[in-house]
Amino acid sequence: MEFDTQLLYAIDEALLGIMILIIMFGMGASLTIDDFKAVARQFRGVLIGFMSQFGAMPLVALGLAIVLNLDPAFAIALILIGCLPGGTTSNMFTYFSRGSVALSISMTTASTIMALLMMPILLSLYTTGFTQQLSETLFAAGEVGDFVIPTSNIIISLCLVLVPVAGGMILRRFSPGWAKTAEDTAGFMAIIVILFLLGTLFIRHGDILIRTPWQLYASAIGLGLAGFFFGFWVSRLFGLQPIYQRAISLETGIQNGPVSFAIILLSFADTPVRDQMLWLAILYSAFIVMTSSFITLYYRKKGRFDWEVYRNTVVHNRLFGENYVTNYPEDFLPPRIAHDPSQGTSASQRR
Amino acid sequence: MDSRIIASNLADLYKKAADKYESLPAFATRITALEWQPVTFRELYERGRKLSAGLIELGVEAREHVGLFSDNRYEWMLADYGIQLSGAVNTPRGADVTDDELIYIINHARIRVAFVENDALQKKIVRLRPELPELQEIILMSPKSEPLEGVRALEEVMAIGALQLEKGDKRVNERMEQIRPDDLFTLIYTSGTTGKPKGVMLTHSNMMSQMSVIPIDLACTDRVLSILPIWHIFERVFEVYTISCGACNYYTSIRTLGDDLQNVEPTFMGSAPRLWESLHQRILENVRSAHPVRRALFHIAYFLGHYYQESIFYISDNDLQLKDESKIKRAIFKIGHLIRLLILVPWYGFFNVAVLETIRKSAGGSIKATVSGGGALPIEIDKFFNYIGIPVLEGYGMTETCPVIAVRTEERLVNGTVGPPVPDTEVRIVDIETEEVLFPNKKHPHEGRGMRGEIWVRGPQVMKGYYREPEITKTVLREGGWLRTGDLGMMTFNDSLKILGRSKSTIVLSNGENLEPEPIEMVLRQSRYIEQCMVVGQDQKFVGALIVPRLDAFADDGIKATALEDLLDNPKAHNIIRNEIKTMMARTGGFKRFEQVREFRFLPKPFKVGDEVTNLFKLKRHVIDKKYEEIIREMFSAKEVKV
Repeated sequence: MEFDTQLLYAIDEALLGIMILIIMFGMGASLTIDDFKAVARQFRGVLIGFMSQFGAMPLVALGLAIVLNLDPAFAIALILIGCLPGGTTSNMFTYFSRGSVALSISMTTASTIMALLMMPILLSLYTTGFTQQLSETLFAAGEVGDFVIPTSNIIISLCLVLVPVAGGMILRRFSPGWAKTAEDTAGFMAIIVILFLLGTLFIRHGDILIRTPWQLYASAIGLGLAGFFFGFWVSRLFGLQPIYQRAISLETGIQNGPVSFAIILLSFADTPVRDQMLWLAILYSAFIVMTSSFITLYYRKKGRFDWEVYRNTVVHNRLFGENYVTNYPEDFLPPRIAHDPSQGTSASQRR
Repeated sequence: MDSRIIASNLADLYKKAADKYESLPAFATRITALEWQPVTFRELYERGRKLSAGLIELGVEAREHVGLFSDNRYEWMLADYGIQLSGAVNTPRGADVTDDELIYIINHARIRVAFVENDALQKKIVRLRPELPELQEIILMSPKSEPLEGVRALEEVMAIGALQLEKGDKRVNERMEQIRPDDLFTLIYTSGTTGKPKGVMLTHSNMMSQMSVIPIDLACTDRVLSILPIWHIFERVFEVYTISCGACNYYTSIRTLGDDLQNVEPTFMGSAPRLWESLHQRILENVRSAHPVRRALFHIAYFLGHYYQESIFYISDNDLQLKDESKIKRAIFKIGHLIRLLILVPWYGFFNVAVLETIRKSAGGSIKATVSGGGALPIEIDKFFNYIGIPVLEGYGMTETCPVIAVRTEERLVNGTVGPPVPDTEVRIVDIETEEVLFPNKKHPHEGRGMRGEIWVRGPQVMKGYYREPEITKTVLREGGWLRTGDLGMMTFNDSLKILGRSKSTIVLSNGENLEPEPIEMVLRQSRYIEQCMVVGQDQKFVGALIVPRLDAFADDGIKATALEDLLDNPKAHNIIRNEIKTMMARTGGFKRFEQVREFRFLPKPFKVGDEVTNLFKLKRHVIDKKYEEIIREMFSAKEVKV
C-alpha cells in the first residue's frame, strides 16, 4: 500500500515528539540505580530474557515478514520493532499477571542499554535482503541512490531517547513523589498517544484501516503474540519458575513503541517509505495494548496458584528466616511445581 | 481449592489438622517487625497433648470449666489445645478483666483451674484468692515472668504431662473419644451492653457447624492476620477455621498493624468495623496529602470505580433492594447499566491498574477478602472499600450464635446488608409487640420481605443457653429452638438480611417519636473531627450528642489543644462541630426532622475499652448515660431555657 498524502503533518510530529519525551521521562522516573544493580543479581533471568528479546524476537519478525510476504518497507519496520528494547508498560502488565516485576524491570533496563549495541548489528544482519529489494523498487520508480539503514542515525536517536530517561532518573533521585506522578502520567500518555494517532489518521485518511492489507494486521498482531509465546517457552526450556516465565514472556512481546517512533522519525528521510514504517509501528503499538491485556488476564488466572505458593514462601523466608523450609502436605503441590528443578534460588525453594 | 477439615469436635479437628498439615506453620508470633516465631501444627498438637495429660494429672475432669484469662498469643491456643484434648471447657476472658468480673466469672462458672497470661494477672488473681474459694490451680502462661507462690508455670504442667505420657498414660485419648457433639467447648461470659455478665454455653456441634458454612476458601498458602481479641467468638471461629484449612495465623496489634500489613501480606483478615473506619481514614489522609495530580487521578479512579461497581451490582442483582420493583423495569435498567458498563470498562481498566491498585497495596496488596463483624459497618465505608476493589464480606452474628447468622459471599455482595443467612439457618422477622411472624409469612405480600421487626434465628449454631440462668435463657431462647437476637432487621427483596439497629437501644423522644441512635452515630463518626460519639435523647424533646473530638484534626485547622479538656469551651471548635454535624447529616440524607442532632457536648475523656465500650467498641449506653448524667442533663436543660 502507498500513502498518497503525507501520513503525519509537522504538528503531529511535534506532538508525537513531546509525548515520546514525556513517556521516556516517565520511564526514567520509575528507575533507580538499584535497578541497574539488580540486573547483576538476576543475571540468569536477564540473560535468558536477553536471548529471547534479541535472539528469538528479531527472528520471529524476520520469519513473519517472509511468510506474510510483506512489502520491503513494512518488513524493515517489522524487523526494527522486533529488535527494540522492552517497554515500561511490560512492568505494569507483569505485575498484574503475577509475574516477577523485579525481573521485568531488570530486563527493561538491560535491554534499553543493550539496544545501543544490538539494534545496529541485528538490523544490518536481518534487513539486507529487504533494503536491496527496496533499492531496486526505488530505482525502478526513477529515484537515485540506494536505500540503506542509517545505522549511525539510529544510534544517535537511541542516545537522544535516553536523555529524558536520565532526566527522569534524576527527578526520582530528588523527588520520589513527583517521580511517581510522572510515571503515572506517562503510563496514561502512552494510551493517549496511540488513540490520538489512530484518531487523527482515521480522520485524515478515512479509509486507511480498510486499505491496509490483512498481512499488515497479521504481522502487527502476530509479532506481539509470537513474542509472548516464544518468551514463555524459551524461559520454560531453561527451567525457570512460572513467575519468571510470565515476566519474560510479556517483556519479549511488549516492545518499546515510543522508541520505534523516535527512531523512524529521527533516522529516516521524510519519504513515503518512512510513512509506511510509521504506520506499522502505530498498528503494532495499538494492538499490543489489547493483546497484552488479554494475555495478562489469562496469565493472572492461570498463575494464581503458583503465585500464592511463591508469595507464601517469600513471606515465610522474610519472617521466619532465610533457611526456613515450607513443607506442604503431600499432593498439595501439583507435580510441576513440586518437582520443578528450578524452584527459585533460596534454600527453602529447593526441595 | 477447598480443603477444610470437617471434624466431629474441636479436639478431633486439632488432631486431624496435625495429621494433615504436619510441619506447616499454624501460628506465628511477632518478635520484631521482620522476625516471627512460627509453631507447626504438629508441635502445637504434641505440646497440647502434654499439657492435656498434665491438666488431667492435676485433676481436671471432663466437661469441667477451665479459666483462660489472656489476650491473643500462641500460648492461648496451646492452652485451648490442652483443655479441649482433656474434654474440658474453656472459659476465656481478656487480660483487661476487672476484679469484679474475675470474681464473678470464676465463682459463677465454678472454675478450679485457671490460666493467667502475665505477671500483672497472676498478682491480681493471687490477691483476690480469698474471694475465690473454689479455685485450686493457677497456671502462668507467659514464659517471661516467674510464677508466684502457689502458681505453676505452663512448662511445669507440660513436664508433668510429658512424664505421664511416657509412662503410657492413655487418659488423653480416652477423653478425646468421650467428647459428645453437644458437650460444651467454651463458656463465654459476654461483657454485654446491659446488666451482669452472662455465660453463653456453646457446644462442639455449634463450632463444627460454623466450619462448614464459612463462605471463604482458604488453603495452606494463605496468611491470616489476627487482631481481634481471641476470647471473642468471632475471632475464635476464624482462628479455628484457619486451622481447619491449614493456613497460618499471624498475631498483630493496633500498634504494629501498619507494618504487619506490609510484611505479612495477609490474604485474609477478619475485623471489626472500627478497623475499616481507621483504614478508610488513613487512605483519605494519604490522598489529601498527595500531589494535586495524584489526588485528581484518585478522584477520577474512585468515580469510575463507583459507577463501574454499581452497574456490576445492579446487573448481578446485588443492589440493595428495599422495595419491590417490577421485572420489566429492572430489565430495562439492566440494559442501561450494561451500556454504562461497556463505556466504563476501558477507562476503569486503566485507572484500576494505575491508581486503585496502589491504594489496595496500602492494605497489604494480597488481600482476597475481608470479613467485618461485631458491629454495623457504616455504609459509606462499606461502599468505599468495594469501589476501590477490596470486597468486604460483612457478617452478622452474636456470641449466642457462635457467631455467624448471615454473611455476604462473593456472589451475594449486597452493600448495606449482612448478606443471606448461612446454610441450615432459618431467620424470622418478628413483630416486636405482637410476636407475629412477619417473614416468612405467606399472608404478607412477598412473604413479608421489606417488613421491619426483630430478628429471630434457629439453626445448628444457636447456643445451649446461659449457664445457671434458666430464667434469662427462657426469655431469649424460645420454644422450637428460636433465639431472639434483640436486633431489628428486615429481609430485602433479594433475600439478604438488613440490620436496622438494636431494639433495646431505641430512643423514644418525649413526643413519642422512636429513633435508632446507631445510624446517626455512624454518620457522625465519619467526620474527621469526631473520634467517638453517642447520641442521647431518651424522653427529651430533641436529639443530642456526646462527642469525643479528634485532636489532630483540630490541630490541622490551627486549633491547638493538648488534651480534650482544652477544647471543652473553645467556641471555634464548637462552631466547626456544629457545621460538621449539619453537613454530615445533610449529605447522608434520609434522616427525619426529629432525628437531627440539635445540641452536643464535648466530653473531657475518650471512651475506654472495658468501661464505656466493649472490646468490639460497642457503646455501653447505660454506663455512659450514668457517667455523664450531669452533662446530659445540662445539655437538654440549656436548650429548654433558650427556647
